[in-house]
Amino acid sequence: MERWALVSGLGGDLEVYEQIQRELKKSRGLERLFVLGDLIGPRHNSDALLKRLQEPERGDLQPECIYGWWEEQLLAERGYRGERTAEALRINHGNDAVEGLLTSVDSGHMTWLASLQFGFIELDCALLHGSSADVGDELKPTSSPLILLDRLTRLDVNRLFTARSAQQFRLDLNGGAIDSHIKDLNGEQNQQQAAPKRSVIGIGSGELFSLYAPGSDHIEFLKAGGKPVSRGLGFG
Amino acid sequence: MAHAVISCLHANLAAVEAVLDDIDQQGIETITCLGDLVGYGPQPNEVVELVRQRAIPTCQGCWDEDIIDGLNACECSYPSQLAERRGHLAHQWTEAKMTEDNKAFLASLPTSLRRDKLLFVHGSPNSQHEYLLPDMNAFAALERVETAGAETLFCGHTHQPYVRELRGGSIRVRVQHHDSSSSEEQEMTLPMRRIVNAGSVGEPRHGNTQATYVIHDEATGDLTIREVNYDVAKTCQAIIDAGLPEVFAWRLSHGFEYAERADDASHVCER
Repeated sequence: MERWALVSGLGGDLEVYEQIQRELKKSRGLERLFVLGDLIGPRHNSDALLKRLQEPERGDLQPECIYGWWEEQLLAERGYRGERTAEALRINHGNDAVEGLLTSVDSGHMTWLASLQFGFIELDCALLHGSSADVGDELKPTSSPLILLDRLTRLDVNRLFTARSAQQFRLDLNGGAIDSHIKDLNGEQNQQQAAPKRSVIGIGSGELFSLYAPGSDHIEFLKAGGKPVSRGLGFG
Repeated sequence: MAHAVISCLHANLAAVEAVLDDIDQQGIETITCLGDLVGYGPQPNEVVELVRQRAIPTCQGCWDEDIIDGLNACECSYPSQLAERRGHLAHQWTEAKMTEDNKAFLASLPTSLRRDKLLFVHGSPNSQHEYLLPDMNAFAALERVETAGAETLFCGHTHQPYVRELRGGSIRVRVQHHDSSSSEEQEMTLPMRRIVNAGSVGEPRHGNTQATYVIHDEATGDLTIREVNYDVAKTCQAIIDAGLPEVFAWRLSHGFEYAERADDASHVCER
């Protein structure tokens, strides 16, 4: 049965990536590896990891990458986002963090980073860093269900995989309804709309990663170098 | 106390004057305008000056924004290349015609106005370009109002007036954390919220040529959609005399637009 590996928040840490690759080699049925952004970060020089992602070693599961919040900040600061700069990073972490980010990535990687997409749509799943609203949108188990449903509705998908919160969780929207009364110049009408059954899944970050089987809708939360943090969650 | 909400004036002076007369005749002193003072119509300066003279609190519409910032919206603004070409012609004509002083006024407008739990925007709280159509997914519509911290959201942009009440809602969720084999079930009761679309004063598209606006009685909560007659032929002639695309006069005289409707109400302009 096909399975996907979902990784994010490597932050330039090649060691963690290599550990994950080693563990993926032991897993059966893995066909795709999605790296949902934050490949880079201010704590590590990211050049070696970026090289490995672009030029996988023999036996590596080929990574399919999108950009995350840190890439967005770097691209903005280096002039790849029109007039925008890394304002969010500057406000939250100060100028030193901006400088640290700039020095952690060689300019030779910028063209590749700028070519990365916002997300992937695979089957009925959206694979994103934040959400359909913004790369920096943090979706958590405590987020309003109304917001989660909105983020799913914007892309008309049944599953939204997110990484920005760094948490591993599965939240199923599994029922509910709302009444809508509309009055216009032609008269009045009532409608009832049922809440669709959809899910938001947090895949974790760094050494926390996830495996997903789209055929069975089964998610497994893992930690690189450790034991599974869940025995597998499936509601299908 | 009753207040009036007007939107999408679109440089149609005859329509704006008629609507303001109708509001005055009812003794309503508080008026809020949801933007799009200009665009498509032949009297952009006259309409802006009338709004300034009456000191009507106004938020910035998508046309007001585009005249100031240039046409840099993503493809969401127009549903077809034909509509886009016509829109660009109107944009260029309006930009050339407007005084710098009136442009500066448009640039000074806020994107939203708030009065207690009432929120006034042009398109949606997310964007001046987002359409909140009456048949938009009810949960997504509620999210727009709730996330903005409002109880009643007044908007325009669609040129179709309506009052939508979203009530009796709930969503059930089941949450499973990574370190737990059990799941938590919760049910969220959703609050009642309203979306009020004021329609359009200067370019109605609700199937009738009359200008529309809404009256809100804050004491009773009642909302009334008003239709007002104005001299449509006069504005149509002015459109043709100004050299604007004749289709703008055609649709004023029919009260609908067959092409310019958003296909995807959930789309948010990403510019």
